[in-house]
Amino acid sequence: MSEIPNENPVHGTPEKEEVRVGVYVCHCGGNISDVVDVQKVAEEVGKHPDVKVSKHYMFMCSDPGQQLIMEDIRRNGINRVVVSACSPFLHETTFRKALQRAGLNPYLYEHVNVREQVSWVHKGKPESATEKTIRLTLAGVEKVARQDPLEAIRVEAEQHVVVIGAGIAGMRAAVSAARRGLRVTLIEKSDRTGGRLNELSTLYPDNESAQTVVDELTAMVQSDQNIDLCLNSRLTMIDGYVGNFTVGFEMQSPEGPVTRQIRAGAIILATGYRHYEPFEGELGYRQSPDVLTLPEFNRLLETTPPGELMNLNGRPIRHVGFVHCVGSRQVEGVHQPQPDGKVNDYCSRVCCTAALHAIHRLMDKHPGVRVFDVYRDIRTYGRGHEDLYEEASKRGVLFFRHTEENQPVVRLNESSNGRPRHTLAVQDVLTWNEEVEIPVDLIVLATGMMPNDISGIIQTMKLPVGADRFLQEVHPKLRPVEVANNGVFLAGTCQGPMDAIEAVAAGEAAAVKASILLSKGMIEMDPFVARVREEKCTGCELCLAECEYRGALTMAESADGRKVARVNPALCAGCGACAAVCEPRAIEIAGWSLDQFDAMVDALVAH
Amino acid sequence: MIANHPVERADALVVGAGIAGLQAALDLADQGFQVVIVERQPSIGGHMINLSKVFPTLDCASCITTPRMASTAHHPNIQVFTYSEVDSIRPVGDRFQATITRKPRYIDEDKCIGCKRCEEACTVYLPDEYDHSLGAKKAVSIPFTNAIPQYPVLDMDECFLCGGCARACPTDAIDYLQKPETFQLEVGAVILATGYDMTPMDAKSQYGGGKLPNVISPWQAERLLAPHGPYGGVLRPSDGKIPDSIAFVQCAGSRDASLGVPYCSRVCCMYAIKQAMLLSGSLPIADITIYYMDIRAFGKGYEQFYQSAKAMGIEFVKAKVGRIREDEEHNPILRIERQEGDSAPEEVRHDLVILSLGMVPAWIPDRDGIVPLQTGSDRFLLSPKPRISPTLTTLPGVFACGAATGPKDIVDTIVEAGAAAMQAAAHLQRTLAGAAK
Repeated sequence: MSEIPNENPVHGTPEKEEVRVGVYVCHCGGNISDVVDVQKVAEEVGKHPDVKVSKHYMFMCSDPGQQLIMEDIRRNGINRVVVSACSPFLHETTFRKALQRAGLNPYLYEHVNVREQVSWVHKGKPESATEKTIRLTLAGVEKVARQDPLEAIRVEAEQHVVVIGAGIAGMRAAVSAARRGLRVTLIEKSDRTGGRLNELSTLYPDNESAQTVVDELTAMVQSDQNIDLCLNSRLTMIDGYVGNFTVGFEMQSPEGPVTRQIRAGAIILATGYRHYEPFEGELGYRQSPDVLTLPEFNRLLETTPPGELMNLNGRPIRHVGFVHCVGSRQVEGVHQPQPDGKVNDYCSRVCCTAALHAIHRLMDKHPGVRVFDVYRDIRTYGRGHEDLYEEASKRGVLFFRHTEENQPVVRLNESSNGRPRHTLAVQDVLTWNEEVEIPVDLIVLATGMMPNDISGIIQTMKLPVGADRFLQEVHPKLRPVEVANNGVFLAGTCQGPMDAIEAVAAGEAAAVKASILLSKGMIEMDPFVARVREEKCTGCELCLAECEYRGALTMAESADGRKVARVNPALCAGCGACAAVCEPRAIEIAGWSLDQFDAMVDALVAH
Repeated sequence: MIANHPVERADALVVGAGIAGLQAALDLADQGFQVVIVERQPSIGGHMINLSKVFPTLDCASCITTPRMASTAHHPNIQVFTYSEVDSIRPVGDRFQATITRKPRYIDEDKCIGCKRCEEACTVYLPDEYDHSLGAKKAVSIPFTNAIPQYPVLDMDECFLCGGCARACPTDAIDYLQKPETFQLEVGAVILATGYDMTPMDAKSQYGGGKLPNVISPWQAERLLAPHGPYGGVLRPSDGKIPDSIAFVQCAGSRDASLGVPYCSRVCCMYAIKQAMLLSGSLPIADITIYYMDIRAFGKGYEQFYQSAKAMGIEFVKAKVGRIREDEEHNPILRIERQEGDSAPEEVRHDLVILSLGMVPAWIPDRDGIVPLQTGSDRFLLSPKPRISPTLTTLPGVFACGAATGPKDIVDTIVEAGAAAMQAAAHLQRTLAGAAK
């Protein structure tokens, strides 16, 4: 771990300039102003003696909105800014940058969340919502009035990216980053590249060979001198922070296991998906060899000899039934939950088109087979997908539609008397809601996607996971391939269901973010970390005992020879556990001092 | 930066300043490349800036778009040309020569301070295309509140040349004699983010051919729902009545070979569900019905969004809408055939109907003779190797993203814009290194 000097010592109290706060209340395009009386908020907060301007505006985050603030800084001597708007996750940085452009220290800013914390949750109570907005905004004023200017923490960034997973998303991310001059270590647990694409022969909708895609990307990986491809590798540790991660892994080689450690500035997760596995008895699965998942069926179709009918263990297959949404769009109380107690309520996006693609391949190879397709909605959304649906109809595939309440049922039979032996029963809403019994020889379950089990990585890195168990991006539109952990990016189906084209695009998008992050060589981080007033520190070490971030706090010697606590700002997460136990108030979080909290609480409870 | 004067060279040209173009330009500029953006409209922001809120998070669309617009407008590595057209893009060796025409705003941009006094002085009212003709604007006007840049455009075809604006302008910026200005730009890479249009309202005569006042487009519905919309609320256009019964007709411009749009437009299910939710928020007692073929809620969080719409009481009816006519009070009457159950075709009256139109390419570079590129049978740009990168085109060094490569929602567009920026950056790195040797 690199030593980072304490770049964030407490500044001596500078000559106190007059505090001149500008307050700006955002309508958020109605999100706030439909509930909160923003004009009243601006008027009431404007009465605070430190508040020199107080305004409300339709979209503070827009360019004219930002100009409003910048003008007041330049013309009206505003030196502290409060914006009452959306979550700081969305636009705190936006407004800090505006302060910076106007020549003000960007940390003399307070973002008050009155959308998520007021207007969205108190819709029916406009008066008390307005009162709450006033109090929260005044608390923001009190906080920012006590704010010192802060400097961002700058750390050097390793020009190296670790990509975890060498499926197509991971390979694409690796190649893209490498082409921008970054060193890349591509870590793959299995003995080959290509991931799930290796299970497929051709890809929808254009029938491109999956092997061709894997081979081409693999050749790009292997021929790039900046990429170190490590197959048969198992992660052993991930440590550090943005710009300076340490990733350890154990690689199986013919000479035995090799342990390696890589220093990297960024990490791209491309850990992929697994297929939903139906429970025993779910639609007859594992109760009969005639019930297969779509991946199993695709493998089988590779091996059957061509002919009018499909031949399975000497038995002719005349009727095949496909069932959609197995393991997707599940309904609580109807479907059996996963071990974590949750059903898969999401759509897996690819299975409709994948099933139709399989149907066409089946009918191409075995033109005598009749196909029955049982679905809720056919979601052939992508380019060329709808054609597969249209064509299937024209080729005589019969479609049956059921509702979420009336799921299809499989009835298995032993004897066949030469006829299809099983029954696929569906309450078909397209034909008078009657139960239709479809005689079938083979049933194919279009199973959905679930994320690969990466619980080890999730726990080590404290990664955010959504209710659907996929890794959770910061915001689907603002930061779609980033997680809350700085310097960690998402590529492909670890984030959610995607097809091959979409996964490749996500891989490139993740690589561009890594390239932007590392292109300057230095990374700036927010300075909201612990700082020590050494003159007050008694060296009791209580803070060290509370600190959960290895290396963030150490004991050192002060200039006058006393034992005092010292902070490594790059490793400190700013959690405040240390400040909570420090009796003499010697340690505090920059930008979140106890004095500020005291003043905020006073403002919140004042009459 | 907003460019008021021609630029001769840059690393990359981005055509289109919708959400795709903005994201691609920012992702390139943040890596240190010099980028020129050319946008045909007077403001950057694309279609997205016209929207009310966006699925599935229901964030206000401006909250997502305007910060990117501002970042672009202030980025030291970006030069933005608005109200400008790309006439041609020609490969020259490793690089490209683009011909760009700046259309006359009849405003001297160097003098204009965006004070809007010209707009106040103007006496000519025109339909406001930003509000999709639900509202009015002046013949000289800044396109909308959040527009970047804040320069007005004078509509010379409608102007009376009364001179009112010129007299009102404090900086003498009105220039009735301004001419188009054409210039050449040399770049190392091009990103096409040229977006989409919607299928026209008058495409289907069965649905009234665009002539029924209370059968509106999804754009108009967005504007009715927008906080700064033309009526300040949801009112129907014919008589200003608050609608009690609202219907959406899905696939009104998609999955329909008769329109030449046999494909799925991918976003209409979700935007209709979103609009239905917003409508039920602003009109709690209104009945809202969505007539559909399949609900395609396939993206992350979309199925859950659909389920919550159903839980809110929005009615989803699987039915084909054969015809729409109106009664003497302009109430739309839909002739529908339910596909569930055993019912004969029936007629249903609603107060307001929204046609969920589909997406078609806004710009067909090959047909327009601007740059020779292959398109698919759907007329969107085609990647020769979509699984190596969906942003490739048939011309090396030219990349495409967003709705230019097929209908796409905002999330997928933003991801693909990042991918295009990655491709362009890698291409520039390779060709610039080659040139250095």
